Amino acid sequence: MRKKFVLVSTILLGAFLLSACAGGPVHGSTWPGLATDGNTMYLTDGSVYAVNLNDGRQLWRYPGSTKLIFYAPPAITPDGLVIVGSAGTDYSLIALNPSDINPETRAPFEAWKFSGARDRWVAAPLVAGDKLFAPNSDGNLYILDLQDGRSVKDATVVEISGRLWAQPTTDGERIYVTSLDHSVTAIDANTYDILWREDLGGAVPGSAVLGGDGMLYVGSLASQLERFDPVTGAHQPVLDAENWIWSTPAVEGDTLYFGDVDGNFYSFNTATGSLNWKPVKPDGPITASPLIREDHILVATESGSIFAVSRENGRVLWTVEVGGKIYTTPAPAGDLTIVAPLETEFYLSALDANGRQVWPFTPED
Amino acid sequence: MGQIWNVFIALFVNVLIWIYDVVGNNFGLAIILFTILIRIVTWPLNAQQMKGAAAMQELQSDKDWQAIQKKYAKDKEKLAQEQMRVYREKGINPFSSCLPTLIQFPIIIALYQSIIRALATTQLDLLKLSRSIWLPNVSELIPLNSKFLWMDLGHPESVVIFGLAIPTLALIVAITTYIQAKLTMPTSTTPGDQGAAMSGMMSIYMPLLLGYFALTFASGLSVYFITSNVLGIVQYAMQGKANWRNLIPGALKKK
Repeated sequence: MRKKFVLVSTILLGAFLLSACAGGPVHGSTWPGLATDGNTMYLTDGSVYAVNLNDGRQLWRYPGSTKLIFYAPPAITPDGLVIVGSAGTDYSLIALNPSDINPETRAPFEAWKFSGARDRWVAAPLVAGDKLFAPNSDGNLYILDLQDGRSVKDATVVEISGRLWAQPTTDGERIYVTSLDHSVTAIDANTYDILWREDLGGAVPGSAVLGGDGMLYVGSLASQLERFDPVTGAHQPVLDAENWIWSTPAVEGDTLYFGDVDGNFYSFNTATGSLNWKPVKPDGPITASPLIREDHILVATESGSIFAVSRENGRVLWTVEVGGKIYTTPAPAGDLTIVAPLETEFYLSALDANGRQVWPFTPED
Repeated sequence: MGQIWNVFIALFVNVLIWIYDVVGNNFGLAIILFTILIRIVTWPLNAQQMKGAAAMQELQSDKDWQAIQKKYAKDKEKLAQEQMRVYREKGINPFSSCLPTLIQFPIIIALYQSIIRALATTQLDLLKLSRSIWLPNVSELIPLNSKFLWMDLGHPESVVIFGLAIPTLALIVAITTYIQAKLTMPTSTTPGDQGAAMSGMMSIYMPLLLGYFALTFASGLSVYFITSNVLGIVQYAMQGKANWRNLIPGALKKK
């Protein structure tokens, strides 16, 4: 009898261990998303949280579940809707209305929903005029009309292929979409026709950016920074990095700032085609995009630190240890910088201009 | 312990990716070939399982064994003691046919984690994958192609027929697990036979459990289950050890 009990217990333990590999929304399952409208910080970390930027107080929470899990950075429409995509078993894209709160659940009502995608939402959608360009892991770019007043949306579908994990970029005429299938695709912003499509030899988890010279720049897991002619798609590598370039470069005039997963931080001059200074190596892998502040650049590392780097010479001005691991690009909010680390008790930390914590955010029950 | 487990996972991931590269970027085929490799590596365990099952089978016709079944038919505690004595005397481990199945659990868990890590459906998984790879120049292969036949190997599988989502792989997993368990189950005609009872219990629990796993988890895991079960059935059949009579309902009672 005892052996029978041991056998059944072993089977159940195995089932439990395997079950632990999946499940509902868990803080730390992957890196969270951040977006702000200037007054409120929106965090997706399993659930969707709205946090008052003045004091770090939770305004509301739109709960995640096994079906609905939110990690993709939200997009905020001009009329204040917060658009979040699920990475659970229900692949819905939902527009939440923060000005219409359910008094019973204290969560916002849904303004509309789109359920036509076939895979997870990882990237933030791009709001451009009255259209929403939403890239999905199923390889499609879904284009939704924000003004049609429908509560259940339809979408125009542009088949890109591969998993689309980065927010599209636009120059008004074209929409640029990067894919994990190693490609960059340009589509016409009005007709949605594919204009060109180029292979980079490595997956592209970050967005393309337009440099001060009008050219398109993209980093990839082929460890190269590529420059594209946005009209023709002609491209060439302009810099070999030490390892995968994950982060979307930050642009300031003729300079691009970006990191690699070996922890090197680069300042690349698009006018000269060379580095402004020798890459600096803070203290860990860099997946977050740098944040350009008034007199320095903020670099977040997997080691849980924020480095303030001089834009002139790459010298580290100050460092603050936030804790945990930082993969998400910090968000600017006036004088504050909001950081969303993993593996910490708090979900957000608001830092002032000198890196001192102003408030931490921990979700309320 | 966590570090050792991570190395174990990384080993699985690298072998899977290497096979994936060799077979022309087909992850389903990589899982099937990897399963064959696992069956070869765990061959001694399977041999032990078959040996144990055969010994249990032979025991049913042993006169001493049959005598104690009759003598202690109404005293189950004493019967169990006597059965254990016979097991000891004849050098039989009544659980030897169950042990290999249980040892599969760490392999199943490691394989599940390897598939999830290799297919990298989240950013954190993709970053972890980059640190698991020992092979050179794999950035060209990443991300792995998760499509195999009609399946996305990173997601649970179902086929929509007349508007109903039928979990075909989960059904095939449950059926093949049941067939394999039944074929390897010793035929027992004696009441209170613990080994046979245990095997009987396993032949019910395991199909349900693995079917549930197939229903819930990435379909790549189901491909492993089905391949492993089919290989097991073929292996038993080729060695003439399969008890096909066990598949016929009521066959044992008639006997």
